[in-house]
Amino acid sequence: MKIDQKAISRKEFITVEFLFNNTRDKFKLKLYSDKSGFSKKITDQNLFRPGLALAGFVGLFSFARVQVFGNTEMGYLDQLSESERRKAIERVFGFDIPCIVLTDKNQPFPLLLEIANEHHVPVFGSSYDTTKLVYLISDFLDDQFAPRISIHGSFVDVYGVGILFVGKSGVGKSEVALDLIERGHRLVADDIIILTKKGEGILMGSGTNLVKHFMEIRGLGLLDIERMFGIRAIRYQKRLEIIVELEVWDDKVEYTRTGLDENFFDILNIEVPYVKLPILPGKNITVISEVISLNYLLKHYGYDAANYFQSRLNSKLKNHNEDSLRGVDYFEHDFE
Amino acid sequence: MIEQTVKIVNKAGLHTRPAATIVKMAAKFKCEFYISKDGLNINAKSIIGVMTLAAEMGSELVLTFDGDDEKQASEEIIDYFKRGFDEL
Repeated sequence: MKIDQKAISRKEFITVEFLFNNTRDKFKLKLYSDKSGFSKKITDQNLFRPGLALAGFVGLFSFARVQVFGNTEMGYLDQLSESERRKAIERVFGFDIPCIVLTDKNQPFPLLLEIANEHHVPVFGSSYDTTKLVYLISDFLDDQFAPRISIHGSFVDVYGVGILFVGKSGVGKSEVALDLIERGHRLVADDIIILTKKGEGILMGSGTNLVKHFMEIRGLGLLDIERMFGIRAIRYQKRLEIIVELEVWDDKVEYTRTGLDENFFDILNIEVPYVKLPILPGKNITVISEVISLNYLLKHYGYDAANYFQSRLNSKLKNHNEDSLRGVDYFEHDFE
Repeated sequence: MIEQTVKIVNKAGLHTRPAATIVKMAAKFKCEFYISKDGLNINAKSIIGVMTLAAEMGSELVLTFDGDDEKQASEEIIDYFKRGFDEL
């Protein structure tokens, strides 16, 4: 499997309108200004508290960020005289700021709204306190500006473990996914998977907006999995936990036999457990996938079969005389 | 590996029928064939992938061919793009 650099992308900006429309309910945002500045672009995922800029120090003013007015900023403006307040606010609006968010039920001064509308800068307010709102908006912007990558494969939730099947066209990824769905597992996406880096060490996968849960099975054409199998057969997002590469059996390739050494595949600098699975007649990839998933869960809960077997072998090597070869010491009179 | 940028020249863009034709043409060859547009990199041997590009008239696509018969595949497929999917 190869990763093409062209598949990696990152949003360059979002508009203030996009931020507002996607977060107004979750963050309890209220619009105070008019909408004339809705097309302004946000290009930075960080936020800025412009307290010092209001007070006069604009040396390191990160004006391109979303500006958060908390109790400090509003309290400072409140104690100023009318003319000083106008000066402080106009100083900040002298820069090209994208939008202003008031936290903790702070109401905008009429003067602030007047100047904001003049400069076409949207002003929002929320009842959440500053710490919480800063966290929420940061998380949203982090997600929007996170690096993402498009990968060809099938992504299925198997017993709660996100398995991404990759491999050459026509090797049978969609067929394995279909088989897993039939056995009660859930399809995240088929064909094009968009993986987004979320925080450190986490990749979240989903399908594309257009495709959703459609799937192509060669010889049949396009199928709508959600319609066909119902809501329990699908999900919209899942953390990527294992990559399984399907390939036609190759004599020259060595496949893992003990499972003691784990392989990883690097995607956006995140190491994802990686299994290479040869396809052979009579080999049930679906059941093997379920077993991969169960084994992952066992390891996650602290039991590693390969390691356990190794320690048994090691203890036998140490005390080789004590055990007999047979698994049962003595067949008592129970001949079942 | 062969990489080339092509432009969609027919009015209707890369709709279902030309997408199907491209996938069928690509399936004849052994080489890997990827198309990318706006950070989306899709396997062009899959119909869903090609349709997801939603490439309208005037948009530019980067075609990548990689494998033994890449030269022949690229010539045939790029020609089909240049002919505007025979819809000009």
